[in-house]
Amino acid sequence: MSITDLTSMGEPQVELKKEINDRLSKLQDEVSDYCYQCAKCTSGCEAHKLLELEPHKIVALLKQGLIDEMVNSDIIWTCMSCFKCRERCPQKIAPVEILFALKNLAVAGGKQVPGKYTSVLQSVLSIGLIQDAQSVTTKDMKTKTRDDLGLPPLSKPDDPAKFQAGLMKIAVEKV
Amino acid sequence: MKKKLALYTGCLMSTEQYGYELSVRESLPLLDVQLVDIAGFSCCGEPLKSVNQLLTLYLSARNLAIAEKHNLDVFAPCAMCHLALSECKQVLQNNPDMKTRINEMLAAEELTFEGNGEIVHTVDLLHDHIGIEEIAKHVKKPLKGLKFATHYGCHLIRPSEIGRPDDSEHPVKIEAIISVLGAETAKYPEKLDCCGGILQINLDESALTKSGQKLKAVQNQGFDGLVDVCPWCHKMFDARQVKAGETVAAKLNVPVFYLTQLLGLAFGVKKEKLGLDFNISPVDKLEIG
Repeated sequence: MSITDLTSMGEPQVELKKEINDRLSKLQDEVSDYCYQCAKCTSGCEAHKLLELEPHKIVALLKQGLIDEMVNSDIIWTCMSCFKCRERCPQKIAPVEILFALKNLAVAGGKQVPGKYTSVLQSVLSIGLIQDAQSVTTKDMKTKTRDDLGLPPLSKPDDPAKFQAGLMKIAVEKV
Repeated sequence: MKKKLALYTGCLMSTEQYGYELSVRESLPLLDVQLVDIAGFSCCGEPLKSVNQLLTLYLSARNLAIAEKHNLDVFAPCAMCHLALSECKQVLQNNPDMKTRINEMLAAEELTFEGNGEIVHTVDLLHDHIGIEEIAKHVKKPLKGLKFATHYGCHLIRPSEIGRPDDSEHPVKIEAIISVLGAETAKYPEKLDCCGGILQINLDESALTKSGQKLKAVQNQGFDGLVDVCPWCHKMFDARQVKAGETVAAKLNVPVFYLTQLLGLAFGVKKEKLGLDFNISPVDKLEIG
């Protein structure tokens, strides 16, 4: 078992797919009776005007069981996770959470993960953080490190092998 | 009454947004907050929620378990980290099976998540725990004659079901803090608009458009500057302001501050100590500090 199990998005993870599918069916059962397509979610959606995400349609498509169609669409990756749809839904439906589940399912199903998600994931798996400490340039072009600024050493997993052993269980469990 | 908290530094603040970390470390001890550094923390997992939610849950639980080991409540200055940790605590408290499962995984690092600790962010720490009256006592150089726009950040105020530091539709705590520091604030229609920060990972131009639109609105409405409390939002508004301006075809010139930087300035701390050299936006034009 290696760390690539979590990062190799190419390999379909059967168990994981099943679990997320269960999560989606649960969402499907729970939302189908309650959403009355008022589109309040879409009216406040941060990704609507710019990227044409329509959360009420995501709920409608889920209601109809068109999960594969959504998983294969780029639209699910336009959500900015501002949580306004979840906050404002009069029926307490959370399109943002449906979108998280759909994206998780896309990843588990071996779909190409967009943008820098793979490198962010790889960084977290190897050093525990999305990136290592950077040298930062001030306005007058002086480069400073944490050390130069008198900041304490960066807090990160001190034993990467042990840290990865914990993460590995997520891979082993294939969840 | 001294408040002792584990400083959860997260990723973005501790690896590049040094202005936030410096100003947090400089200004909060003046209010009798003792920040404790703990080795071994990792990412909160929030940026990877789209990839694997269990991973997010695991990473957050791991960080909370580390703080619990030291018997300390957690101070997470990043809005995204604060949401991930708070949501993790809520999910695991309400789902004993998941808690058991996560704890089985955490055993690899000899950690256990109990869920007893409190999690605070800059805004509730200042407003609710320390209090406006106490802050007022420390103001030496009031920020007179300045009017700021506030930016709370989506993750800080939503989803309210999880329990967030301020109201989801009408947040007012940052305004209250700025007011006691001597400056003014005003409502503006774009106050709750998202910075687009998370889209930096996969749709960068859209992220820049969101930030650019908000900055443009702030600039057009005559504010002297923008105040934020999240390293993701701040990176978009400050470090990436020029690029955001190019994306929305506007020449942007908005000074952007972390709330803790303004706090330090009003307390009379020298601006070098508050990391203001790292603010790329034109903060010097306000001539404070």
